[in-house]
Amino acid sequence: MPDGPFASVAMFESVFEFFFKYRPIVFGEGTLAFRPTVATFVAAVAVVAIGVATFRTYRRVRANTRPIDRAVLTGLRLTILAVLLLCLFRPVLVLSQVVAQQNFLGVLIDDSRSMEIADRDGASRADFVAQQFGGEESPLLTALADRFALRLFSFSSSTNRITSVDDLTFDGTRTHLGQALTRAHEELAGVPLSGMVVVTDGADNAGVELSDALVPLEAAGVPVFTVGLGRENYSRDIQLSRVDTPRSILKGAALVVDVLLTQNGYAGETVSVQVEDEGRIVADQEVTLPADGEPATVRVRFTASDAGARLFSFRVAPRPDEMVTQNNERNALVVVEDTREKILYFEGEPRWELKFIRRAVEDDENLQVATLQRTAENKFMRMGVEDAQDLIGGFPRTREELFKYRAIILGSIEANYFTPDQLRMIADFVSERGGSLLMLGGQRAYAEGGYAGTPVADVLPVMLNDTAGDGEDGFFVETSVRPTRAGATHPTTQIADTEEASGARWLELPPITMVNRISEIKPGATKLLESGDGSLVVLAFQRYGAGKTLAFPVQDSWMWQMHADIAVDDQTHETLWRRLMRWMVDGVPDQVVADLPTDQVELDEPLALRAEVDDANYEEINNSQVSAWITDPDEELIEVPMDWTADRDGEYASSFVPRKEGLYEVRMEATSDGELLGSDTAYVRVAPSDSEYYDSTMQAPLLERVAEETGGRFYTADTVDSLVDDIQTVGGGVTVVEERDLWDMPVFLLLFLTLVLGEWGYRRSRGLA
Amino acid sequence: MRPRVFVRAGVIATALIGAGWAAPWPTAPAVHTPLVSRAAAPAAGQPGRPLFRREDLRPTLKRPSANAREFFFTRAIYNGGGRRWASWATDFPKADRQFLTILDRLVDMDAYEMENAIQLDDPAIRRFPFLYALEVGNMYMTQAEVTGLREYLLAGGFLMIDDFWGTYEWENFEAEIKRVLPEYQIVDLPLNHPLFNTVYNIKEIVQVPSINNAQGGPTWERDGYDAQVKGIFDATGRLMVVINWNTDIGDAWEWAESPYYPLRYSTYAIEMTVNIIVYAMSH
Repeated sequence: MPDGPFASVAMFESVFEFFFKYRPIVFGEGTLAFRPTVATFVAAVAVVAIGVATFRTYRRVRANTRPIDRAVLTGLRLTILAVLLLCLFRPVLVLSQVVAQQNFLGVLIDDSRSMEIADRDGASRADFVAQQFGGEESPLLTALADRFALRLFSFSSSTNRITSVDDLTFDGTRTHLGQALTRAHEELAGVPLSGMVVVTDGADNAGVELSDALVPLEAAGVPVFTVGLGRENYSRDIQLSRVDTPRSILKGAALVVDVLLTQNGYAGETVSVQVEDEGRIVADQEVTLPADGEPATVRVRFTASDAGARLFSFRVAPRPDEMVTQNNERNALVVVEDTREKILYFEGEPRWELKFIRRAVEDDENLQVATLQRTAENKFMRMGVEDAQDLIGGFPRTREELFKYRAIILGSIEANYFTPDQLRMIADFVSERGGSLLMLGGQRAYAEGGYAGTPVADVLPVMLNDTAGDGEDGFFVETSVRPTRAGATHPTTQIADTEEASGARWLELPPITMVNRISEIKPGATKLLESGDGSLVVLAFQRYGAGKTLAFPVQDSWMWQMHADIAVDDQTHETLWRRLMRWMVDGVPDQVVADLPTDQVELDEPLALRAEVDDANYEEINNSQVSAWITDPDEELIEVPMDWTADRDGEYASSFVPRKEGLYEVRMEATSDGELLGSDTAYVRVAPSDSEYYDSTMQAPLLERVAEETGGRFYTADTVDSLVDDIQTVGGGVTVVEERDLWDMPVFLLLFLTLVLGEWGYRRSRGLA
Repeated sequence: MRPRVFVRAGVIATALIGAGWAAPWPTAPAVHTPLVSRAAAPAAGQPGRPLFRREDLRPTLKRPSANAREFFFTRAIYNGGGRRWASWATDFPKADRQFLTILDRLVDMDAYEMENAIQLDDPAIRRFPFLYALEVGNMYMTQAEVTGLREYLLAGGFLMIDDFWGTYEWENFEAEIKRVLPEYQIVDLPLNHPLFNTVYNIKEIVQVPSINNAQGGPTWERDGYDAQVKGIFDATGRLMVVINWNTDIGDAWEWAESPYYPLRYSTYAIEMTVNIIVYAMSH
């Protein structure tokens, strides 16, 4: 069954051809000319004479006519004569037609897996190819071969010459349309080329801009005729369009992953999205499917409990009558790190908050909270430090010392404690080092602590109330807390297993107190928690430079642990603080960051390697020695040296071609002056891609664009019959000028008859006949 | 004695004398009247009857200045028995106030200046994660108090025990605390425990005598000859209860301003308590 828009185009074309003898494309390509002969001029003189006679006769007739009748009848008669005269002058269309058998035509046939999808009444896209190009009797191939010297190509990940369509295997795992056009054009350079025919579903997934391939074709005047196969919409299909997972997470971290689902034909049905961690189901989230074609975001939660490179599969069980079942599953490679991330918590006075926060994250093996607590002026108590010298002088005074941490928590400590340089360092910790900063509430925090106007205030996600500069105005409020819309789904504020349970739990929690009047977040910041009446900010965050900042102006979140309404073994307080701290250290870069553009490549497909290298002050360095140590699936170690790209400071790149299927470990290591700066490990999986099955419907807009930009035309299986004639008209190569008569167009006869009958009818109606 | 101790003792003494002279808390004189005193206690009623209504005991927290404060020196009101059934109120509130005055000078902490006494079965006890209880040799808790204290400690609260002497009182306290935390053992706290180093480095455990025994002669009472510091830890190793046995730290605060009370004892008492509080607030 043809799809709507293409059917109406086809109908319009056949109606046009009925009236005007040729199809619109012929008029578009040709130029109008007249080819009169001597006899034409004799006839013309006769026609003019008749015209003059007619005019004069009508002027003289009086009878019982009104002037208007005479004018209409004169006009009609003269128009009839004019049409006759036009035909006598023999109008023609001058066309340059491609000379038969003198020109070459490139025929590019999609050889990728998506061609096997059977979405046309049970017939696959490949069936169409077999039927139209398959053998001696196949109509399209025969018609093309009659007029052109054909060169056949197959294309998927690569482009190859083939002798017949029997060479097609339809197992390509990518569709690189642009690359195919460029390759075919190169191969056919130097021969008279009429154009190229591309037979594909258009599901290009190369991920590169097509313009690079189209501009040379346009410049060379090679029109591309695209034949789109398959349907523009599946009637019954569920697809996992996208899964957003972080590249790496801490072991035991609670993941909240958005899965984007699209569907057709199953609106309103309930399906479940399952997550598998190498064979073990770790999440199962039910979702009610939205209206056809509308995307639905499903939020699934699970915990990454095993360390290492883990392959998570997200899937929706295929429905019995689904057209494409291969797009119901997506895989994501996530590195689950089992490291201990350092956080510095600085508190300006003995506070209960410190005790309870420490206690909440004490059991978390992946968090190391070094605590510095001031007990009296210049007297500090250190807890969780690495050795006897660590933090002995109080808050770090050098960037190198501070930037060892991934996150900083500032408690009730006045801005005056810090030197201007330390305040700047804290701001740089966020913006340049990419760390996280959290400020708690307290009498010496925010504006009450004198932070207004400092570099730290600049990076905070909230506006400081600078009228409260000295902390003497005695602001104090006891309030309940509720999550905002963003907070209801944010990973840090998930204090129960499901979104609903978490939202309900927040409303049950006892009130906390605040002494900092913070009611406004900065533009670009996100409010996650707010006071019960919505007037105060309880938790907000923003990205700032390379890092992020959080504001939690609460001074006694420990009430969520200690309050009499909270059961003794309740884990809410612990969960909140663990999630908050884990989220803070998540994604904070090291001195060396290994960056792979993708987590999956195919065999023999080059893998780009990229590293970003900083020194201990987190300033980019360009003269370090960087190597990628690649461990292949057979445990063989390969060293790939990496060079500074010269495009960006601190960026090093190289590439690598995997020759085995399986998991590759890529450890990038940087040294400077013989000293190790750091290393970072990334993983990549080498496996055949199944990207062919996603968004595998026919991509008409893309194919139309290719045709339009190169001067060709776009066809579907239903309109492909006119392809051969069109190439002859539009195509380049060796051409010959051809004239086509227009005087015998049915539309002239129709016009003539209409006018004559119109004149007669008018006379009848006026009683003049 | 080393000069450092003299300096500290000097600071403490000055603070106390200053506090005494200045007649603190002039804003609401009615409230400074000791809410409970030893003299008043026997007249208050029969054993088993509530000694004071809760509203009488906690008016200080209704003041705006109590809002948003970080630390309250909180005294546990427990059910007593026998001859000294109101033993929880020993030294109250003079000791509490004098100690808080000194604490304010020594530690940069937002501590509320006034006493705060609370019953063990009051749910509001959870607002105060530090609790002080003394004279526990005469403690006979009700079941509600046992439950209240147990949940308080397990949720994260901290209890400091003081001023009980000899075998008989120990046995009574041990029996009572076993009702609260039957699954946890009482252990000795060695001097290398971080508790003895949080703010001040304490090198020896001193027997702090009551005012009556401080002028020479034996410092012990009954058969409690050796001062000891013991503790109870929870399953994760967190110290929940610190027990000062055969010593009277509270009397040292109460009489710290007295020229007749030896500095050595009040210095130790205050250093030890500051350490315990700062430890409780960070561990």
